[in-house]
Amino acid sequence: MSLNIFPIVHKEFRQIRRDKRTLAVLLFIPALMLFLFGYALNFDIKHTATAVYDEDNSAVSRDFIQQFFRNEYFDYTYCLNSKSEINNLVDGGSVKMVLVIPKKFSDHLAHGENTPVQIIIDGSNSNTGSVLVGYVNMIIQQYSMNVLAETFARQGGKMIAAPIDYEPRVWYNPELKSAKFLVPGLIAFILMVTAVISTALAVVRERELGTMEQIMVSPVKPVELILGKTIPYTVISLIATVMILILGAILFDVTIKGSVLLLALVTIIFLIGALGMGLFISTIAETQQVAFMIAVLATMLPTFILSGFVFPIRNMPWIIQVITYIIPARYFLVALRAIVLKGVGISAFWEQLLYMVAFAALMLTVSSIRLKKILS
Amino acid sequence: MFGISFIAPILQLIVLGYAASLDVSNMPMVVCDMDHSAASRDLVDHFTSTGYFSIKGYVERHTEIDSWLDDGHASIAIVIPKNFERNLNNGKQAPLQVIADGTETSSASIGFSYASMIVMQYSQNILMESLLKHGQQIIAAQVSPEVRVWYNPDLKSRNFMVPGVLGLLLMVMTMILTSLAIVKEKELGTLEQLVVTPIRPYQLIIGKLAPFFVIGIVDVLLVVAAAAVVFSLPVKGGVLLLIGLSILFLMTTLGLGLFISTISHTQQQAMMTAIFFFMFPMMFFSGFVFPIENMPVLIQYVSVLVPLRYYFVIVRGLFLKGVGMAMLWPQAVALLVFGLVILSLSVARFQKRIG
Amino acid sequence: MTTVSANDYAVTVENLSKKFGSFVAVDHISLNVRRGEVFGFLGPNGAGKSTTIRMLCGLLSPTSGTATVAGFDIAKNPDAVKEHIGYMSQRFSLYEDLTVEQNINFYGGIYGLDETRLHERKQWALEMAGLRGKETVLTQSLSGGWKQRLALGCSILHQPPIVFLDEPTGGVDPVSRRNFWELIYELSNQGTTVFVTTHYMDEAEHCNTIGFIYSGKLVAIGSPTELKHNLDQYQVYEVHCSDPVEAMELLQQQSWTRETSIFGSAFHISTINFPDVETKISQMLAAKNISVTQIEKIIPSLEDVFIHLIAAEDARRQQASAA
Repeated sequence: MSLNIFPIVHKEFRQIRRDKRTLAVLLFIPALMLFLFGYALNFDIKHTATAVYDEDNSAVSRDFIQQFFRNEYFDYTYCLNSKSEINNLVDGGSVKMVLVIPKKFSDHLAHGENTPVQIIIDGSNSNTGSVLVGYVNMIIQQYSMNVLAETFARQGGKMIAAPIDYEPRVWYNPELKSAKFLVPGLIAFILMVTAVISTALAVVRERELGTMEQIMVSPVKPVELILGKTIPYTVISLIATVMILILGAILFDVTIKGSVLLLALVTIIFLIGALGMGLFISTIAETQQVAFMIAVLATMLPTFILSGFVFPIRNMPWIIQVITYIIPARYFLVALRAIVLKGVGISAFWEQLLYMVAFAALMLTVSSIRLKKILS
Repeated sequence: MFGISFIAPILQLIVLGYAASLDVSNMPMVVCDMDHSAASRDLVDHFTSTGYFSIKGYVERHTEIDSWLDDGHASIAIVIPKNFERNLNNGKQAPLQVIADGTETSSASIGFSYASMIVMQYSQNILMESLLKHGQQIIAAQVSPEVRVWYNPDLKSRNFMVPGVLGLLLMVMTMILTSLAIVKEKELGTLEQLVVTPIRPYQLIIGKLAPFFVIGIVDVLLVVAAAAVVFSLPVKGGVLLLIGLSILFLMTTLGLGLFISTISHTQQQAMMTAIFFFMFPMMFFSGFVFPIENMPVLIQYVSVLVPLRYYFVIVRGLFLKGVGMAMLWPQAVALLVFGLVILSLSVARFQKRIG
Repeated sequence: MTTVSANDYAVTVENLSKKFGSFVAVDHISLNVRRGEVFGFLGPNGAGKSTTIRMLCGLLSPTSGTATVAGFDIAKNPDAVKEHIGYMSQRFSLYEDLTVEQNINFYGGIYGLDETRLHERKQWALEMAGLRGKETVLTQSLSGGWKQRLALGCSILHQPPIVFLDEPTGGVDPVSRRNFWELIYELSNQGTTVFVTTHYMDEAEHCNTIGFIYSGKLVAIGSPTELKHNLDQYQVYEVHCSDPVEAMELLQQQSWTRETSIFGSAFHISTINFPDVETKISQMLAAKNISVTQIEKIIPSLEDVFIHLIAAEDARRQQASAA
């Protein structure tokens, strides 16, 4: 069976080339987005603006404050003279945290008693809020340990202050660079959105313009039409992928630890699924407007939030986790992170690979069924 | 179009509100306990009793950890070497390894801080116990933080995300639909038809924008209702104020939609422009998920131009903080200015094109 | 009429019907189109012309009835049909964002023309359409007439034995329309069967055979001359007067009047054969203070025929539903 897809592929390429804006979007915007977002976006919560109200005002309290801020996490931004100033500062967002040291701080400390300090955290951003709580606990725990050690030393103890030699290790991303985390997610996100949108318009446009009819009376078979329309966008998306990867390596040190061939294979399978999904949308939408809205609604926010790009799926309520199973980017991301960041082979993500293949097959099948119905 | 304009966004809002969370709890953990002592078991208990970690498996050898982390079945691993208990009892330093999967940086750093805290607490307990054992009574003070979280005491992600998603949805619905609708008329030629009538340009524009303005307001109300009913998230700052400030925001999105329609010839162009040149950047630079304060200074300056940024402050302020105009007037002014500028620019361009 | 065997028919249609829900778009149409002839499908908008053509081209499936195109059954062998026909739609169906040459290349490609043949046919198409030297022009910059010819060229690159043209002259200037019909004649002379739908009466005069279709029914079929014989028992006059509308209303009520229809600033009236009709008409109109400038007996045009046929069909239906 010979397939006559070349004329259609040729035509699509010609049309794409002529539409400079779309071409720019498909090729350069992904890379540009990667640059901007990889550079600008991160979860490293550092230099959080903090206000301090020191009621105790002793040498001890000042020492505590100094130790508290001896890190990158918090910046001593405001020194308060009264409690009433707190509301305005936090409400207005000028500080995200307030440290209040009560009057009896040094007294309690001297008498070896439980010494409370008050921490006010702006919880409106729950993400940063949790991180800040964690940091605060850690810092203060450290301080307590130090106090213990000093007391110990003063009283001539011979025990080691820190019984446990604690070695934290980070794998795959030792410096905990947000970029390494975000870059694969960005790739998946950008590819998903551009792939689906570009093909979503493909069939509808021809229908709206009337050229679809002309194709329908010709000997062109549904499968030829599908392949002919998908291939050009696959090629372009692949080029965009390569550009993103190169940029990711140059700017963010995200090098592909694993096999490039495997990466290519996985990406192609993912792309086919995404492009197929766009095609399917194209066959069920009446107008370009509707096709576009469906494509956007189905890809943008869901991929951003439900694919594991930013928010770990593990933390979601189980109903939502079930929903994430139909987000193709989810599987791609696992494979992507595994290959790029962890450098592992298929064994780590063969399940995901199966899902992706199944998804691609499903999309292409339903697209052809719909297309056959339209063409006949 | 009705379904797409109203129902789909609300559904999305609900799903996403529940899903978007960076909270750390039940981090899957794998334990490599090579000591098998009471002390090591005690340490592991300390980890699990906090609720932050949940043990998914035990391994015997250090090398087995590799596959757990590689395959993503665990995000964090504890390695307790042999002689852990013995070292502790003999007053020698006992090594302990905590390994985290660094690909999810946010969870990794939070996980680490929790792990550090737990280990330090455990160390302290050890110290105290052995001190008591040796009959020494060291009175050492403990600094204990009393943490109060304002606005969102349980640090629930959805309280943070839901107002955010409102802003995004509003932008998608009004900016994109507006630009598409106008360009479609351009494509069909019906716009020309309207221009030859005695209708004045400003009447034409108002007529075109009005429906989407209404859609925007209805969307706001629907979201407020959904937030209150589904997420138990009322608008602390008052619904009227929210509507009023949303109107300002709508001015900017409608203006942008109009602007996009003047620079696009086909619906496809309008779509591409709206999504990739406007929505994408606005999504990321507005403080939707990524705090603006953490961005490089240059980017922070760029984000000043993003109207969504101000709307997020407003929306979060009203939903969570319960602040009023006294706090929000800078944002309101920013939106007003932006709205007026973009509207006049777009209207001028529009008139030039059709006049 | 000489008997023709089935092989000489390019298109055979038997009781073809198409229903959309309860609406009958095409109502049991039967006709045969001889090879090499120019067959015109005439009728008002919404009469069922496009629907019929689309069924014959395999774009729609019939509700009932059968048809063969180029000897292939449209229901059983649609793929073979598609390979043997050319089709040009009302909207010309060209890619506006491709150049003239690129459009030709595309359509040549999907009909499977190899390089040499494509080159040949491309030269022919460019020549025929008068687009030599304009190969790299974007299709959207072409005026209506050129687009029309380019669309025709693209539809027959593969030299099909039959070509279906659906309202091919819509929105095109009269000179281009005339030239287009010359092209159609040429095709017909070369043995291609041309099946064209139109609502331009004057174009219908150019066809070998015309099928009148009204409300889904084939109301009449025959050559232009044959059809005009329909009005043999009537006389048709063209009347110029001061108040055509009033005049028409008045005359319509007369029992000897068949139809009246407005024609520019005058009107046509067909009456039963009787002598001195002109005098009678002038007198009646004068009585009502309408001055008559001219009354002329004319040879009925196809438009007259058609209006007559429509009226007859309407009357027949009224009778049928009353009974």
